[in-house]
Amino acid sequence: MLKYDEPLESALNSLVNLLKADYGISRRSVGLLLLQGDPDIEKRVREQEAAVYESIQEIISQASQSYNQPLSYIIALRRQQEVKRLLSTVVTSREKTRRGFAERLSRAMMHPVTGTIILLIVLYFGLYQFVGVLGAGTLVGFIEGTVFGEWINPWLTQLITSLIPWKVFQDLFIGKYGIITLGFTYAFALILPIVSTFFIVFSIIEDSGYLPRLAMLIDRIFKTIGLSGRAVIPMVLGFGCDTMATIVTRTQETKRERVITTLLLALAIPCSAQLGVIFAILSGNTRALLIWAGVTALVFLLVGYLAAKVIPGRKASFYMEVPPLRLPKLSNIFVKTYTRLQWYFLEVFPIFVLASFLLWLGDLTGLLDLVTGWIKPLVEFIGLPPETAVVFLYGWFRRDFGAAGLYNLNNSGVLVGIPLVVAAVTLTLFIPCVAQFSVMLKERGVKTALAIALFVFPFAFFVGFILNWVLTALRVSL
Amino acid sequence: MTTMQKIRDIFSIGKRSASCHGEGLSLTEDGLKKVGIVGTPNVGKSVIFNCLTGAYVTVSNYPGTTVNVSRGKASIQGEEFEVMDTPGMYSLMPITEEERVARTMLLAEKPDVILHVVDARNLDRMLPLTMQLIEAGLPTMLDLNMMDETEAAGIEININKLEQELGIPVVATVATNGRGIETLKKRLVEYVRNQHCA
Repeated sequence: MLKYDEPLESALNSLVNLLKADYGISRRSVGLLLLQGDPDIEKRVREQEAAVYESIQEIISQASQSYNQPLSYIIALRRQQEVKRLLSTVVTSREKTRRGFAERLSRAMMHPVTGTIILLIVLYFGLYQFVGVLGAGTLVGFIEGTVFGEWINPWLTQLITSLIPWKVFQDLFIGKYGIITLGFTYAFALILPIVSTFFIVFSIIEDSGYLPRLAMLIDRIFKTIGLSGRAVIPMVLGFGCDTMATIVTRTQETKRERVITTLLLALAIPCSAQLGVIFAILSGNTRALLIWAGVTALVFLLVGYLAAKVIPGRKASFYMEVPPLRLPKLSNIFVKTYTRLQWYFLEVFPIFVLASFLLWLGDLTGLLDLVTGWIKPLVEFIGLPPETAVVFLYGWFRRDFGAAGLYNLNNSGVLVGIPLVVAAVTLTLFIPCVAQFSVMLKERGVKTALAIALFVFPFAFFVGFILNWVLTALRVSL
Repeated sequence: MTTMQKIRDIFSIGKRSASCHGEGLSLTEDGLKKVGIVGTPNVGKSVIFNCLTGAYVTVSNYPGTTVNVSRGKASIQGEEFEVMDTPGMYSLMPITEEERVARTMLLAEKPDVILHVVDARNLDRMLPLTMQLIEAGLPTMLDLNMMDETEAAGIEININKLEQELGIPVVATVATNGRGIETLKKRLVEYVRNQHCA
């Protein structure tokens, strides 16, 4: 049994003698946690040992007065000492001074200059080329245009028309908001290829050990917006799916950090489907793409900075283990991409079908016209054609659903030039979708979740309005 | 986990070692021995969990993938176990929410074995938690994981000596390719049997 220094050891023994209840761990351990000021244990001891709690407090305060440093530090130091002694008899190390390629690459990834260059390369090839151009461009073009557009949909349209004599019910499947023509097509032809390519890239990046190095690199920038490098992980996950990322904010140390991250995830981090679609529709137009990326990044930093000023609480310190760089294993990437995709698709698919059904019902009852009627002025206010209104409604169901709607509007030539960029920016910032919002409610509580939603909604339109105004005033040609 | 199970778990607190007098092996309420996997983030807890249970938990090369306790069943030498994988913890005194989740598992579930998985290259940073687990009187077993990378880094560990010094079973594994997993399973079963009828 590890002995501590005097007078700590005597204080500990007195505590052990006073404790009577069963805590699931040894009394010695409970005593040590009390001395370290563990709030949960303190609470339990106060309840269980009410009679002697004052004496307990007395022992703790006396012990801490005997030392200049906090007791938790003294205790940790003693343990470290003991581990060091132990290891000196157990471990022998043949010092290897040669620094391999992996070590040099690892350093380069965390260096401010080379690290930024590596990040840009990763973003360009990994996200833009692979997800944007290959996934959202080539693959979607083929699956949506050829497989669904020329084979599946015409065939099913014929089948349904011959099976169902009533136009209204035909529309349920193959109409403007049909379960097949809208729900299935969006899910399989648009979202699936994009999200698949994203998850492949993400699994490779994840397994290589690049993320913690990215966290180290970005830590400095994040400090200015009140976050630590720890926030990088939920943020990067957010590019996959903001809903999933909001759950991962639990890994953050302070409540303040969690609130800021949740806000930024809801506002300025597009999910993979949005990102892919936006890359695809803006890929022919470098200037438009840069404006979209620049405005989103600016909003991210500005809101983060202001939130850090406004939201009270303790600043977080940052410490993260940096695991070794590894060459990702193909089988592992495959399994991971598959399990993620399965999870994502099972979540998304029913919502797409349900949304199509509700839209069809809304269209039938005139409710849809009523709601889009309310959104239309907002949409026109930021300089967008009225047809865009319904896309915002899609986006509310799910971010990726909205993105898919944007893709279609661009394809049919309704949305081009300045309005396209404005719509892309506004939809990126636009409210968290239903799924994300429900997770926010669960993780952050009603008050915070509502406050975030009520901020994000008008703010997205405000930014859209300003952007439209600036671009029009400057006569930027896109 | 269903509400019923939760309720049963709550009521099984404190019953773990109650029935070890002459009855042979004791069982928890649902008839399973519990193995709790703990350790700092990114040492391979989830890979070990997958190896033991055959279930799939997302594994990644960065800290903090597991935010909840994952549960799975493992059958080792005819013995059924409930295996729990926890979020990373640095010490018995939690700082983040995920560490709190891990400690709550330790305190409330009373596992029959606590498998402390460590990165064998950084024992100086890993063993303080082992000491705290031993200090807490918890049935701890130490797993030195990532032995391949440790050997590649030129670090040699005298496992027998470490076992003697700590007074708990110590095993060495490379979870990513399965090396040492059979030994780990064997020792786990032995440990549970000895502990219950000591």
